[in-house]
Amino acid sequence: MIMMWFCLCPLFQVLVIGDLGVGKTSIIKRYVHQTYSTNYRATIGVDFALKVLNWDSETVRLQLWDIAGQERFGNMTRVYYREAMGAFIVFDVTRPTTFEAITKWKEDLDSKLMLTNRESIATVLLANKCDQGREVLTNNGVKMDQFCKDNGFVGWFKTSAKENTNISEAANFLVKHIMATENDFLKSVVPDTISPKLNDSQPGTCSACYKS
Amino acid sequence: MTYKISLRSHQQPSYSSVPPLVFSLSLFLSLSLSLSLSLSLSVSLSICRSLSLSLAVSFFLSLPVSATLGLSFSLSLSLCLSLSLSLCLSVCLSVWFLWRFRFLMYLQEYEARAGKAGSGGTSPTQPQHGRRKNLDFEPLSTTALILEDRPSNLPAKPVEEAQRHRQEYDEMVAEAKKRELKEAQRKRKEMKERFKQEDSIANAMVVWNHDILPNWDNMRNTRRVRELWWQGLPPNVRGKVWSLAIGNELNITPELYDIFLSRAKERWRSFSETGSEADDGASLADRESSLDLIKLDISRTFPPLFIFQKGGPYHDLLHSVLGAYTCYRPDVGYVQGMSFIAAVLILNLDEADAFIAFANLLNKPCQLAFFRVDHDLMLKYFAAFEVFFEENLPRLFNHFQNSNLTPDLYLIDWIFTLYSKSLPLDVACRVWDVFCRDGEEFLFRTGLGILRLYEDVLLQMDFIHSAQFLTRLPEDIDSDRLFACIAAMPMLNGNKKWSQVSSSKHKKTGK
Repeated sequence: MIMMWFCLCPLFQVLVIGDLGVGKTSIIKRYVHQTYSTNYRATIGVDFALKVLNWDSETVRLQLWDIAGQERFGNMTRVYYREAMGAFIVFDVTRPTTFEAITKWKEDLDSKLMLTNRESIATVLLANKCDQGREVLTNNGVKMDQFCKDNGFVGWFKTSAKENTNISEAANFLVKHIMATENDFLKSVVPDTISPKLNDSQPGTCSACYKS
Repeated sequence: MTYKISLRSHQQPSYSSVPPLVFSLSLFLSLSLSLSLSLSLSVSLSICRSLSLSLAVSFFLSLPVSATLGLSFSLSLSLCLSLSLSLCLSVCLSVWFLWRFRFLMYLQEYEARAGKAGSGGTSPTQPQHGRRKNLDFEPLSTTALILEDRPSNLPAKPVEEAQRHRQEYDEMVAEAKKRELKEAQRKRKEMKERFKQEDSIANAMVVWNHDILPNWDNMRNTRRVRELWWQGLPPNVRGKVWSLAIGNELNITPELYDIFLSRAKERWRSFSETGSEADDGASLADRESSLDLIKLDISRTFPPLFIFQKGGPYHDLLHSVLGAYTCYRPDVGYVQGMSFIAAVLILNLDEADAFIAFANLLNKPCQLAFFRVDHDLMLKYFAAFEVFFEENLPRLFNHFQNSNLTPDLYLIDWIFTLYSKSLPLDVACRVWDVFCRDGEEFLFRTGLGILRLYEDVLLQMDFIHSAQFLTRLPEDIDSDRLFACIAAMPMLNGNKKWSQVSSSKHKKTGK
């Protein structure tokens, strides 16, 4: 724990948002602790988790913000979007309303959060509970791809926290995109700056390190 | 020498492998059968022969004397034969007895041999004796250390070594005995403590029932009652005291609850008939989704207790109370966190009383601010909390500021659920006890108490670990230690009390 304090490895804040009861907490628990339970309590406000990844012989830390799904909390939880570098938007394939809410969540995210290069943060769409066998919504892959393109998602995955389907794949996909935007960002910013701080952090680390 | 940990009740050596026995038995049977058969055959043959002989003689001589002679001869012969038959039978029987006896001997021998195989090379009687002796100083538990001799196929060990091993063995047994004695003492002490606790609860119950509750209005603010209250309410007066302390400003009656409940039930019925996504205008859709949310959240309320889940005894009750509330206060509706509060009330009060307490509790200014998600007002509460945080725990306050950990990150969970989600249920109930006595101030004071209790740990943690820790507090939190920490947090800023600080924050927003 104390070592984490001084770790200069990249740290990314990742939001996990979506309607109430779509399985955000379950996905995080599966991803971080490799466990699944039907006994998770409702999230009030925001819960936290930390995932440490080995990425190209480098340690990457993901700070997962598990945000309460009730729309009412929107005013309160939107404050937490501020410093996010990536996001998962989750819906439940068995409940069509949760899919309809996705555009609302995405607009919300984009309105509160823009990278300095005016692009939105890397966002991956997760179609959770795909083990339930009622995947009417996601059967049409082409349509889903088009939906992602139209709404600014970098990709989508059919996931199941229960059966551990595609969870780490989706996370790796998101990290890849975050790293890519990070690098683009550094490349575009570094040439016209003389700040020594940025030059110092350039090799091997990212600008997000000091956020810990 | 070998040590074997085994169950005290030794299994008898099994006799499953006794083919030689079966073999000998079958041999004996077949022998006796063939013997008796041949005997009876020879007897019948000899009778025939003697008869035919006597007949032939009498016929040849044609004399009655000779006939009688022959007859008598044959008779004597048959007599002799029958005698020999009985003799034969008795021999048979004796042989059979002998065999049987041998069979038993065989068994005994086998038993002895099996015993030997199980316990080493000494004579069959000795291990029996040794084992009996071992049983004598066996400790109380079902598992015991059993001293076994070295297998016969290994060379015997020197006397010295054997002695040393025996000594070691005795020491081990003595150690085990000592440990068990200690454990028993600890248990006795624990029981004593528990009895003491139960006694004090029983005493407190008598005081609450006979002295305080009948004179509630006069006594509730006396020092004695307040002190007793701080120590936690006895479980069976808890609900009553909560009800009285929360009050019923809204004048809700059980009949009113029934009305709202039937209204909620009607709505559920039409809700399930029309399907979940009927779109008759935004407000209705919103309200219906709030019914949907209740259903989703009920199963996620205290899941480890298994009483609010579908099929659990309080599932319908929790559903009813929350449903009735959304009909009673459509302007507030259902907000996550409510299910936890209603559940704690249901655990301590009857249905209608739980609803009355629930509605009145949520009508308190702090709860109303939170459950209406009045963000500005909430921020004022957080700011007031920070004033006292800085005053009481400056080091931790600075540490949190440096790591960007704002109080909303943990206070939202704590205040929305009144600690019932983050603290163990019994500790949470004790917090509720004093919250009913002191009001909203105590909620924030409890927050400071928790931070005080874990200050040393939290000072070592970075942002994410602190945030994780505070939203998921340790499950073994000790209520007495927590309350000592809470008591050490005087809610005074300079000479301003909580109410003054928070109201000054609220006024600033008014301008």
